[in-house]
Amino acid sequence: MVVDELDALRDKFEGCAALAFADLSTKMILVTDSGSNLRREALDALCAEAAFLLGANGTPALAEQPSDRASVTSPSQMRVFLRAELEPNDVLCCICNAKLDADAFVADAGACLDRISGSE
Amino acid sequence: MSEEDALAQKLAALIASVEIDDSGARVISVDGDPAPITAILREVDDTVLERCLAFDCGDTTITVVAAGRRLRGIVNVTPQNDTEIIGQVISREEPDGVQAAFDLLQSLSADADKMTVRSLPPEPFGKGGERGISAKGLTELWGVTMDIIPKPPMDKFLSANAATFLSVLHVREGKVVSTSGDVKPLQQIWKSQVDDFRKAHAKMVRGEERAQFVCLESAFDDGTSAALALYENEIALVAYQGENFGKMQSSWQRIFN
Repeated sequence: MVVDELDALRDKFEGCAALAFADLSTKMILVTDSGSNLRREALDALCAEAAFLLGANGTPALAEQPSDRASVTSPSQMRVFLRAELEPNDVLCCICNAKLDADAFVADAGACLDRISGSE
Repeated sequence: MSEEDALAQKLAALIASVEIDDSGARVISVDGDPAPITAILREVDDTVLERCLAFDCGDTTITVVAAGRRLRGIVNVTPQNDTEIIGQVISREEPDGVQAAFDLLQSLSADADKMTVRSLPPEPFGKGGERGISAKGLTELWGVTMDIIPKPPMDKFLSANAATFLSVLHVREGKVVSTSGDVKPLQQIWKSQVDDFRKAHAKMVRGEERAQFVCLESAFDDGTSAALALYENEIALVAYQGENFGKMQSSWQRIFN
């Protein structure tokens, strides 16, 4: 179950506040972790930000080519967006505390996304 | 130091935000800014009533006794350290001891990413008449300066990560203030993409944060990554290797949080 994978990732990282699995081709959030209480508008904004930063339409947000991983860090929050290795339209949107161990989190989040994407 | 410089230093110190870490200790040096030894002397110089000052850097804690803006000595170090100067009052009459104190403080703190200080009640140390050496006197004996104006946060971030960045384009109020590495691709981004990016992104997230750090992995054709750091009227465009992502994030967090 996708939600179980998301819950396990959220439980592992104390600084992880919300996780959402999205499809960039339809620009829709498909599943969130069970503890997430984000409103529909917030989920739509998160998905739109993922599509923009990852260059869903083939146009990079910045520089020369679309990325497979993007992040936006403010003093209070880090949002991370990851694209699945084999299915580029499958993305994981993550809202975290800015003090999170970023390297450890993106490694586990990438593995989580690939499991979810591969099991669809 | 001229009166203008002294005034500028005091003003900079007053406007610099005081950062408290999770343990409640005050952060006094981040990524070598200012140098930990300078930070230690500044704390001693700010200590009038007798206090123990516990400086934490990584797993090391150095506890000194200061009073009357003078360093009396190093009370203890953890993990345990057998250096002879620990527990002794420093004195100008014993220059070897003064040098040993400097060498010990430098060896324990010079490479610290972060140093914090806690002010603790004084402990019995030395004899009443042994006053130690003033912080100002130590700057002369140790060849260290305390007269450093704190760097603005963006400058701090860029200098702390200079070795990590492949290239940097730093813009303040629309003007390029510094560059390093191969900046052509960054200049291209600055000219043709940054404004549109900021407008589109701000609209999406309902406004731009005062401090924001955007990382895009493998955004360049050669596989290197791009980052855009924003702080008030400053922008830094950076090219970096993807494996440095976590290091940059923790540095950003330390400086801007």
